[in-house]
Amino acid sequence: MRLVIALSVAAALAVFLLYTSFAGGATPSLKPSQLAGHRGKLSVSGYVLGPVAGDPHASGGLRFKLRDIDGPHQSVRVPVVFHGSEPDLFRAGRHVYVVGNYNGASLAATSITTKCPSKYSPAKS
Amino acid sequence: MQDLGRAALALAFGLVLYAAIGGGLGAYLRRRRLVVSARNALFAAFGSTAVAAIVLLNAFRIRDFSFAYVAEHSSKALPFPYVYTAFWGGQEGSLLLWLLVLTGVGSAAVAFNRRLTTEVLPWTVPVLGAVASFFALMLVFVASPFGTQVAPADGAGLNPSLQNPYMMIHPPLLYLGYVGLTIPFAFAAGALLSGRFDERWIVATRRWTILAWTALGIGILLGAKWAYEEVGWGGYYAWDPVENAALMPWLAATAYLHSVMVQEKKDMLRVWNATLVCGAFCLSIFGTFLTRSGLINSIHSFAQSPIGAWFLGFIGVAATFSTVLILWRLPLLRARTKLESLASREAAFLYNNLLLVAFTLTVLWGVAFPLLSDAVRGEAVTVGPPYYDFFLKVFGLPLLLLMGIGPLVAWRRTSLRALGETVLWPGVAALAVGVILIALGAGSSTAGLLAYTFSAFALGAIVLEFARGTRARKALGASSWWSAFSGLVARNRRRYGGYVVHAAVVLLAIGVAGSSAYGATKIRHLRPGDTMGIRGYTLTYKGSVLRHAANHDELRARLAVTENGNQIGTLFAGKNRYFAEQQVSNEVAIKTDWLRAQDLFVIGDEFKKDGSVYLKVLVKPLVNLIWLAGLVFLLGSVITLWPDAREQRRLASRTEPGPVPITP
Repeated sequence: MRLVIALSVAAALAVFLLYTSFAGGATPSLKPSQLAGHRGKLSVSGYVLGPVAGDPHASGGLRFKLRDIDGPHQSVRVPVVFHGSEPDLFRAGRHVYVVGNYNGASLAATSITTKCPSKYSPAKS
Repeated sequence: MQDLGRAALALAFGLVLYAAIGGGLGAYLRRRRLVVSARNALFAAFGSTAVAAIVLLNAFRIRDFSFAYVAEHSSKALPFPYVYTAFWGGQEGSLLLWLLVLTGVGSAAVAFNRRLTTEVLPWTVPVLGAVASFFALMLVFVASPFGTQVAPADGAGLNPSLQNPYMMIHPPLLYLGYVGLTIPFAFAAGALLSGRFDERWIVATRRWTILAWTALGIGILLGAKWAYEEVGWGGYYAWDPVENAALMPWLAATAYLHSVMVQEKKDMLRVWNATLVCGAFCLSIFGTFLTRSGLINSIHSFAQSPIGAWFLGFIGVAATFSTVLILWRLPLLRARTKLESLASREAAFLYNNLLLVAFTLTVLWGVAFPLLSDAVRGEAVTVGPPYYDFFLKVFGLPLLLLMGIGPLVAWRRTSLRALGETVLWPGVAALAVGVILIALGAGSSTAGLLAYTFSAFALGAIVLEFARGTRARKALGASSWWSAFSGLVARNRRRYGGYVVHAAVVLLAIGVAGSSAYGATKIRHLRPGDTMGIRGYTLTYKGSVLRHAANHDELRARLAVTENGNQIGTLFAGKNRYFAEQQVSNEVAIKTDWLRAQDLFVIGDEFKKDGSVYLKVLVKPLVNLIWLAGLVFLLGSVITLWPDAREQRRLASRTEPGPVPITP
């Protein structure tokens, strides 16, 4: 009996978690080369390509491009326009995690997280 | 010197491997000399790892850039003491710190308990040795901090964000917490392997578990304080996978520290406790895997790292070992007593455990969701702060309420009438607080209002418990109210230290609710002489200031601040530009109103060539209660950890035969 109650509670929680995580505003997390066919709010993890131009507080925003960090599709470029607070370590050559709205051609970024460049980086050969 | 470091690590690897294999054989064959030599090998491994750590620290001290690791994480201009804290600024050094703490804490736990758990200890040492062998293996063959190179003219420097006093203590505390959870795991596994799953391993590890749990808790709070002051986005916890990696084992350990009391008192929840201890350990390794694998997007993880696969394998082995062990010993773990009533202290502990474990699993689900969705749907999907915030309310608010009810309920059973009488005054206090807050306009956030009301209830229950106990001791003949109060705490440090920790959680809840539900934010573009206002504060931009420091330049916006027309000070918010690292860091300005525990938080977001500046200004009500909660949490933990000869004798008498246990 106790096992049935415990399993029922666990099953209810699992269903609730599944529903919440899928229907509760979850965001696709993609590489720049995977953006084709997507629209709307998503997050992109990529490598910042220069030149980084513009002003994040001006109407034109801060403009740069992203490519895959690694893998065979590094030639794919995605233009990004960002409005907001530029993070500390942001510049060309950094690995970043960008959240924004993709319209099929460019990404209107609402937040940029620059990955910490010294912690736990892979050992250099 | 690199050769000495490498040799010391290789020796440490050999020693811990011997502790694992030789110790296991000794325990199985009951060969005392083998068991003792395995224990001594563990002690010697600590010494050998310490030598490796000293070699690396010395390389940092003399800036020996022929050590590739030193060149990657320091520079000539890196000031003291950051040149030493750069030790754990990267993967290899942090793994070395992990092994050092593991062998050190493991040796101490074994040495202090060698007389208490004579049957369990022979099996504990091999488990500790096996865990240490994994980390030593990583350091010797996969991620050595003693890689050599032709020394460059200067090093790459340390990430400016890590050049912060909080970062000097935050990582070692987290490691102490993670590694400390290995101790109860090793003793529990030892107890299961030896077939002696009585109270002894709990007595032996209780203080070690509290120490690890305290270190992890304070480490998480210091990390939050660092994020608040250094990262400079105005928050302190972003539900980042790396932050969650520390939170999950802490939640599991919190559940264990509560449920273990039920096992001690009522001899129940043995399977549950064994599962929680193993789960907390696996979660601590899982967190490390997340941080270092690069599989999940986080501010800390960085690209795919080969070390992740090793950690995944180790988690698989640890989880399988734990599961098999518990299933094998299930007959031994069956409870001898049953829950008598759903309205009892043990039932309250059980509800608390269910909520804590449910929240832990929810966080785990959120962290692992990108991996799972990628495997199932072929597309990684992340869940953000709204997901976690929602479940924090779902599980956190009932937990807050239970924290008030639990201490007031009697063991075995409580009648509804008795329960009603005991919760009357805390209930009245909570109701009064709720009504006052609604009258003051705090009803705009239902979750915030509930958090405050439940906090008032929990705080009322804590005060009531202290008041009752003090009054009883005064009636028994204490010379003064103070001696009655201090005697009360001294005679039962664990219980009243626990209540102080509960008070810390209440402060934390009030601080989190206040700063997140009732804050204000404004972004303005100001030219010299311009002003902006927010929540009664007026900031006047007086122009920018440039200062030169040893390894960086400091650019600041000078801001005169008034509150309701009264001058309250000048703030300098801006950025540092580090030369060697070629990086910029945000340096926020914070004006604290201690009376209201409120911060005026200013970010110098962008400096324009025409002398103007973009400012982001936040008002964070009650945020300082979060940091105060850390101090109160530490105080409660110290009270609980403080050696208590009377309790030790009592516990020892319950675990006879055997001498008085020695705990740190």
